[in-house]
Amino acid sequence: MNAQDIIDSLMKSFTGTISNAEVVSDIRVSAYLDKEREESVKTVCQYLKDELGFDHLSNETAVDYIQKGEIEVIYHIASYDHPVLLTLKVRLPRDAPVIESIVPVYWNANWYEREIYELFGVKYTNHPDLRQLILPDDMLGDWPLRKDYEGFPNRTANNLV
Amino acid sequence: MAELKENVNENIFLGESDTDEIEHIPDVITTTSMAINEFLKKTKIQDVINWGRKNSLWFMTQPMGCCGVEMIATGCAHYDTDRFGIIPRNSPRHADVMIISGYVTIKYLPALKKLWEQMPSPKWIICMGDCSISGGPFYESYSTVQNIDKIFPVDVYIPGCPPRPEALLQGFIELQKKIMAKEDHGTDY
Ligand code: SF4
Repeated sequence: MNAQDIIDSLMKSFTGTISNAEVVSDIRVSAYLDKEREESVKTVCQYLKDELGFDHLSNETAVDYIQKGEIEVIYHIASYDHPVLLTLKVRLPRDAPVIESIVPVYWNANWYEREIYELFGVKYTNHPDLRQLILPDDMLGDWPLRKDYEGFPNRTANNLV
Repeated sequence: MAELKENVNENIFLGESDTDEIEHIPDVITTTSMAINEFLKKTKIQDVINWGRKNSLWFMTQPMGCCGVEMIATGCAHYDTDRFGIIPRNSPRHADVMIISGYVTIKYLPALKKLWEQMPSPKWIICMGDCSISGGPFYESYSTVQNIDKIFPVDVYIPGCPPRPEALLQGFIELQKKIMAKEDHGTDY
């Protein structure tokens, strides 16, 4: 299965849901999933896994676009059968980012989602155990990787001066 | 003996700890190990004790950051720290030196304090690497602790990112010099 086939198949099955789909190279494709349409990210991932051979979630992360008021959740999904790596992105509103968990499809998303939750404050619905991963308890709610986080030490250490 | 007795009494008044109180038995001189320590500190014997201490600086293998890898390398056969009596130990209860080898995160600080409290006195701390001295490359991070010298009594700072094993060895030798000069933080003089 080559990159163009994958994009075609995705566009056909989820018309109107998948946008900005592009073939970046022979081994990279990327697409946006529009949250407004009622097609959950879990359904898309299930389709990717069952029909297109994407059986390996290699990474899940997020980016804070403070000027656009958006948080983008990014999934890098790869396969053990073909060389194509899909970058799937979902835009969420920055003030209330909620998205469905994909743990039922890719089990290893569990800790990724907990980490995104503690650092960006993205709430995952249907996550089996949504707690912070390594952040200290009292820092939960600060969302330290958001661009407007204020809690950085604003002085260097004393003995540097 | 008169001097010893005087010291003993002085130490009671210093009130080092409540459990160290001396029982008074008529015509018998009683004392505590603390009082003996305090007495020995004022004599030449302390030099001999320090000579022994400086030649058995066992350090705790407790790597915390990338500097920890250099620390492990220093403990291995190639650099042969045994010739200075510096031996890596796996338990804080065996160790004399704690090397803060990397970034201290807010979450790790309580564990580090616990390790430090588990070490028996006399004990010393070496700050290895920019991270433990000042935060290093992570000085503006949301999760690193700065000014570690306000939290622990640090004896030697070794700058570098990471310092070479030779630098760590030099740090140990500086610590030995400090112990012989009675300027270390491990003992109250
Ligand atoms: S000082 Fe440099 S080498 Fe050492 S822990 Fe920090 S970043 Fe790593």
